[in-house]
Amino acid sequence: MSVLSFQTQSPAYSLVEELRELAAVAAVRRTAPDELAREELLLRKLGPKGWGRVYHFRNYYASGWGENGRVLSPRALDAFFRFVEEANFPAGKSSPSVFLTDRGGIELCWEDGDGKQVQVEFTGTGAEFYRAVTEEEGLVAFEGLAQLARRLST
Amino acid sequence: MPLVGTEDIVRAVCTDKWDGERLSPSLFVGENISVSRLALIPLADHCDLFRQYVQQPPERRLELIAEINVGRLQDIGRAQNPAIALTVEPKPVDWNPAHGEFPQRITRGLANKILPELKLHHPSPSNQR
Repeated sequence: MSVLSFQTQSPAYSLVEELRELAAVAAVRRTAPDELAREELLLRKLGPKGWGRVYHFRNYYASGWGENGRVLSPRALDAFFRFVEEANFPAGKSSPSVFLTDRGGIELCWEDGDGKQVQVEFTGTGAEFYRAVTEEEGLVAFEGLAQLARRLST
Repeated sequence: MPLVGTEDIVRAVCTDKWDGERLSPSLFVGENISVSRLALIPLADHCDLFRQYVQQPPERRLELIAEINVGRLQDIGRAQNPAIALTVEPKPVDWNPAHGEFPQRITRGLANKILPELKLHHPSPSNQR
Protein backbone atom coordinates (compact mmCIF):
# COMPACT_ATOMS: atom_id res chain seq x y z
CA MET A 1 0.00 0.00 0.00
CA SER A 2 1.39 3.40 -0.91
CA VAL A 3 0.93 6.32 1.39
CA LEU A 4 0.41 9.72 -0.14
CA SER A 5 1.56 12.67 1.81
CA PHE A 6 1.38 16.37 1.14
CA GLN A 7 4.67 18.15 1.00
CA THR A 8 4.92 21.35 2.92
CA GLN A 9 5.37 24.10 0.38
CA SER A 10 5.17 27.83 0.73
CA PRO A 11 2.21 29.20 -1.23
CA ALA A 12 2.90 30.99 -4.52
CA TYR A 13 0.84 33.95 -3.39
CA SER A 14 -0.32 34.79 0.08
CA LEU A 15 -2.24 37.66 1.55
CA VAL A 16 -0.97 39.43 4.62
CA GLU A 17 -2.74 38.30 7.77
CA GLU A 18 -4.93 41.38 8.21
CA LEU A 19 -6.34 40.99 4.73
CA ARG A 20 -7.20 37.32 5.19
CA GLU A 21 -9.91 38.26 7.67
CA LEU A 22 -11.39 40.77 5.23
CA ALA A 23 -11.26 38.19 2.44
CA ALA A 24 -13.31 35.76 4.52
CA VAL A 25 -16.07 38.36 4.82
CA ALA A 26 -15.88 39.14 1.10
CA ALA A 27 -16.15 35.44 0.26
CA VAL A 28 -19.92 35.38 0.86
CA ARG A 29 -20.37 37.52 -2.24
CA ARG A 30 -21.63 35.48 -5.17
CA THR A 31 -19.31 35.49 -8.16
CA ALA A 32 -20.57 36.20 -11.66
CA PRO A 33 -20.72 33.16 -13.99
CA ASP A 34 -17.85 34.40 -16.18
CA GLU A 35 -15.81 35.30 -13.14
CA LEU A 36 -14.45 31.79 -12.72
CA ALA A 37 -13.35 31.70 -16.35
CA ARG A 38 -11.57 35.01 -15.82
CA GLU A 39 -9.82 33.74 -12.72
CA GLU A 40 -8.73 30.66 -14.66
CA LEU A 41 -7.44 32.85 -17.48
CA LEU A 42 -5.36 34.94 -15.08
CA LEU A 43 -3.86 31.90 -13.40
CA ARG A 44 -3.00 30.36 -16.75
CA LYS A 45 -1.47 33.46 -18.34
CA LEU A 46 -0.09 35.45 -15.41
CA GLY A 47 0.51 32.78 -12.76
CA PRO A 48 -0.47 32.88 -9.09
CA LYS A 49 1.32 36.16 -8.40
CA GLY A 50 -0.48 38.00 -11.20
CA TRP A 51 -3.81 36.51 -10.18
CA GLY A 52 -3.21 37.46 -6.55
CA ARG A 53 -2.28 41.03 -7.36
CA VAL A 54 -5.37 41.59 -9.50
CA TYR A 55 -7.51 40.18 -6.67
CA HIS A 56 -5.71 42.47 -4.24
CA PHE A 57 -6.22 45.60 -6.38
CA ARG A 58 -9.89 44.84 -6.98
CA ASN A 59 -10.79 44.16 -3.40
CA TYR A 60 -8.56 46.21 -1.15
CA TYR A 61 -7.71 49.50 -2.87
CA ALA A 62 -10.54 51.89 -2.03
CA SER A 63 -10.92 55.31 -3.64
CA GLY A 64 -8.30 57.78 -2.43
CA TRP A 65 -5.57 55.17 -1.88
CA GLY A 66 -2.01 56.48 -2.06
CA GLU A 67 -1.72 60.04 -3.35
CA ASN A 68 -5.41 60.43 -4.24
CA GLY A 69 -5.37 57.23 -6.25
CA ARG A 70 -8.53 56.18 -8.02
CA VAL A 71 -10.23 52.88 -7.50
CA LEU A 72 -9.60 50.31 -10.26
CA SER A 73 -11.86 51.20 -13.18
CA PRO A 74 -14.26 48.36 -14.20
CA ARG A 75 -13.77 49.36 -17.83
CA ALA A 76 -10.00 49.22 -17.43
CA LEU A 77 -10.36 45.77 -15.93
CA ASP A 78 -12.55 44.64 -18.84
CA ALA A 79 -9.94 45.94 -21.28
CA PHE A 80 -7.24 44.12 -19.35
CA PHE A 81 -9.11 40.80 -19.51
CA ARG A 82 -9.85 41.27 -23.20
CA PHE A 83 -6.14 41.82 -23.87
CA VAL A 84 -4.88 38.97 -21.68
CA GLU A 85 -7.24 36.56 -23.41
CA GLU A 86 -5.68 37.35 -26.80
CA ALA A 87 -2.06 37.79 -25.71
CA ASN A 88 0.66 35.17 -25.74
CA PHE A 89 3.54 35.87 -23.41
CA PRO A 90 6.98 34.38 -24.13
CA ALA A 91 7.40 30.93 -22.64
CA GLY A 92 10.33 30.31 -20.34
CA LYS A 93 10.43 33.91 -19.14
CA SER A 94 9.06 35.17 -15.84
CA SER A 95 5.32 35.88 -15.83
CA PRO A 96 4.16 39.42 -16.62
CA SER A 97 3.92 41.85 -13.71
CA VAL A 98 0.66 43.58 -12.78
CA PHE A 99 0.49 47.06 -11.25
CA LEU A 100 -2.27 49.45 -10.23
CA THR A 101 -1.86 52.98 -11.56
CA ASP A 102 -2.88 56.14 -9.72
CA ARG A 103 -5.56 56.98 -12.28
CA GLY A 104 -7.37 53.69 -11.67
CA GLY A 105 -5.79 51.79 -14.53
CA ILE A 106 -4.10 48.42 -14.48
CA GLU A 107 -0.68 47.93 -16.01
CA LEU A 108 0.95 44.84 -17.46
CA CYS A 109 4.73 44.64 -17.97
CA TRP A 110 6.80 41.84 -19.45
CA GLU A 111 9.83 41.20 -21.69
CA ASP A 112 9.61 40.05 -25.30
CA GLY A 113 11.61 37.13 -26.71
CA ASP A 114 14.71 39.34 -26.89
CA GLY A 115 14.37 40.50 -23.31
CA LYS A 116 13.09 43.98 -24.26
CA GLN A 117 10.37 45.70 -22.21
CA VAL A 118 6.74 45.63 -23.34
CA GLN A 119 4.12 47.51 -21.33
CA VAL A 120 0.42 48.18 -21.58
CA GLU A 121 -1.67 50.30 -19.22
CA PHE A 122 -5.42 49.70 -19.44
CA THR A 123 -7.63 52.66 -18.58
CA GLY A 124 -11.30 53.56 -18.72
CA THR A 125 -10.92 54.59 -22.35
CA GLY A 126 -8.60 51.95 -23.82
CA ALA A 127 -4.90 51.29 -23.44
CA GLU A 128 -1.55 53.04 -23.57
CA PHE A 129 1.36 50.90 -24.72
CA TYR A 130 5.14 51.02 -24.95
CA ARG A 131 7.54 48.73 -26.76
CA ALA A 132 11.22 49.24 -25.94
CA VAL A 133 12.59 47.47 -29.03
CA THR A 134 11.16 50.15 -31.32
CA GLU A 135 10.68 52.83 -28.63
CA GLU A 136 7.12 53.03 -29.89
CA GLU A 137 4.40 54.29 -27.59
CA GLY A 138 0.77 55.01 -28.31
CA LEU A 139 -2.88 54.74 -27.44
CA VAL A 140 -5.52 52.30 -28.64
CA ALA A 141 -9.28 52.26 -28.11
CA PHE A 142 -11.19 49.22 -26.79
CA GLU A 143 -11.86 47.98 -30.33
CA GLY A 144 -8.14 47.80 -31.03
CA LEU A 145 -7.17 45.72 -28.00
CA ALA A 146 -7.28 42.28 -29.63
CA GLN A 147 -5.14 43.53 -32.50
CA LEU A 148 -2.69 45.17 -30.10
CA ALA A 149 -2.43 41.92 -28.12
CA ARG A 150 -1.54 39.99 -31.25
CA ARG A 151 0.95 42.64 -32.33
CA LEU A 152 2.74 42.78 -29.00
CA SER A 153 2.76 38.99 -28.75
CA THR A 154 4.92 38.55 -31.84
CA MET B 1 12.96 78.16 -7.91
CA PRO B 2 13.84 74.72 -9.33
CA LEU B 3 16.25 72.42 -7.52
CA VAL B 4 19.89 72.48 -8.56
CA GLY B 5 21.36 69.54 -10.45
CA THR B 6 23.49 68.44 -7.51
CA GLU B 7 20.46 67.55 -5.36
CA ASP B 8 19.28 63.99 -4.90
CA ILE B 9 15.59 63.17 -4.71
CA VAL B 10 13.62 60.11 -3.63
CA ARG B 11 10.23 58.62 -4.35
CA ALA B 12 8.36 56.07 -2.25
CA VAL B 13 7.65 52.75 -3.96
CA CYS B 14 4.70 50.90 -2.48
CA THR B 15 3.13 47.49 -3.16
CA ASP B 16 1.05 48.79 -6.09
CA LYS B 17 4.23 49.72 -8.02
CA TRP B 18 6.55 46.84 -7.09
CA ASP B 19 5.77 43.14 -7.27
CA GLY B 20 9.07 41.87 -5.93
CA GLU B 21 10.52 41.52 -9.41
CA ARG B 22 9.71 44.53 -11.57
CA LEU B 23 9.19 48.21 -10.92
CA SER B 24 6.16 49.86 -12.49
CA PRO B 25 7.06 52.54 -15.05
CA SER B 26 3.88 54.38 -14.02
CA LEU B 27 5.86 55.39 -10.93
CA PHE B 28 7.18 58.22 -13.13
CA VAL B 29 4.48 58.57 -15.81
CA GLY B 30 2.21 61.64 -15.81
CA GLU B 31 2.19 65.19 -14.45
CA ASN B 32 3.10 66.62 -11.05
CA ILE B 33 4.95 63.50 -9.94
CA SER B 34 5.80 63.81 -6.24
CA VAL B 35 9.34 63.45 -4.97
CA SER B 36 11.18 64.34 -1.79
CA ARG B 37 14.55 66.04 -1.22
CA LEU B 38 17.40 64.28 0.53
CA ALA B 39 19.09 67.65 1.08
CA LEU B 40 16.40 68.52 3.62
CA ILE B 41 15.53 65.13 5.13
CA PRO B 42 18.02 62.26 5.31
CA LEU B 43 17.18 58.89 3.78
CA ALA B 44 16.66 57.12 7.11
CA ASP B 45 14.08 59.72 8.14
CA HIS B 46 12.33 59.33 4.79
CA CYS B 47 11.66 55.69 5.72
CA ASP B 48 9.72 56.84 8.78
CA LEU B 49 8.01 59.64 6.89
CA PHE B 50 6.84 57.40 4.05
CA ARG B 51 5.73 54.71 6.48
CA GLN B 52 3.70 57.20 8.42
CA TYR B 53 2.13 59.19 5.58
CA VAL B 54 2.43 57.30 2.29
CA GLN B 55 1.90 53.62 2.94
CA GLN B 56 -1.57 52.50 3.99
CA PRO B 57 -1.30 49.12 5.61
CA PRO B 58 -2.39 46.45 5.32
CA GLU B 59 -3.03 46.69 1.59
CA ARG B 60 -0.40 49.23 0.58
CA ARG B 61 3.04 48.90 2.10
CA LEU B 62 6.30 50.74 1.57
CA GLU B 63 8.53 48.34 -0.37
CA LEU B 64 11.42 50.47 -1.65
CA ILE B 65 12.72 54.01 -1.79
CA ALA B 66 13.91 55.03 -5.26
CA GLU B 67 16.66 57.67 -5.44
CA ILE B 68 17.99 59.68 -8.36
CA ASN B 69 20.13 62.76 -8.87
CA VAL B 70 18.37 65.80 -10.37
CA GLY B 71 21.26 66.47 -12.79
CA ARG B 72 21.13 62.87 -14.03
CA LEU B 73 17.38 63.24 -14.58
CA GLN B 74 17.95 66.39 -16.59
CA ASP B 75 20.53 64.56 -18.75
CA ILE B 76 17.96 61.81 -19.44
CA GLY B 77 15.38 64.45 -20.43
CA ARG B 78 17.82 66.17 -22.78
CA ALA B 79 18.68 62.84 -24.45
CA GLN B 80 15.01 62.18 -25.30
CA ASN B 81 13.72 62.83 -28.78
CA PRO B 82 12.21 65.43 -28.62
CA ALA B 83 14.30 66.71 -25.70
CA ILE B 84 12.49 67.70 -22.54
CA ALA B 85 13.80 70.12 -19.90
CA LEU B 86 13.01 68.36 -16.65
CA THR B 87 12.89 70.39 -13.44
CA VAL B 88 11.92 69.69 -9.87
CA GLU B 89 10.02 72.43 -8.08
CA PRO B 90 9.96 72.58 -4.27
CA LYS B 91 6.35 72.14 -3.07
CA PRO B 92 6.42 71.76 0.72
CA VAL B 93 3.30 70.16 2.20
CA ASP B 94 2.14 69.84 5.82
CA TRP B 95 3.51 66.37 6.31
CA ASN B 96 6.67 66.83 4.26
CA PRO B 97 8.65 70.08 4.06
CA ALA B 98 10.99 68.36 1.56
CA HIS B 99 8.20 67.61 -0.94
CA GLY B 100 8.74 68.56 -4.58
CA GLU B 101 7.14 67.95 -7.97
CA PHE B 102 7.99 67.63 -11.65
CA PRO B 103 5.74 70.16 -13.41
CA GLN B 104 6.41 68.54 -16.79
CA ARG B 105 4.40 65.62 -18.15
CA ILE B 106 6.57 62.51 -18.19
CA THR B 107 5.79 60.08 -20.98
CA ARG B 108 6.01 56.31 -20.67
CA GLY B 109 9.03 56.28 -22.97
CA LEU B 110 10.87 58.79 -20.78
CA ALA B 111 9.87 56.94 -17.60
CA ASN B 112 11.45 53.83 -19.08
CA LYS B 113 14.74 55.71 -19.40
CA ILE B 114 14.54 56.91 -15.79
CA LEU B 115 13.79 53.54 -14.21
CA PRO B 116 17.16 51.85 -14.87
CA GLU B 117 18.96 54.87 -13.37
CA LEU B 118 17.21 54.62 -10.02
CA LYS B 119 19.11 53.57 -6.94
CA LEU B 120 16.77 51.37 -4.93
CA HIS B 121 16.90 51.28 -1.15
CA HIS B 122 15.16 48.70 0.98
CA PRO B 123 13.56 50.52 3.89
CA SER B 124 14.88 49.54 7.29
CA PRO B 125 12.74 46.94 9.09
CA SER B 126 9.93 48.37 11.10
CA ASN B 127 7.85 47.05 13.98
CA GLN B 128 4.80 48.56 12.33
CA ARG B 129 2.64 45.92 10.64
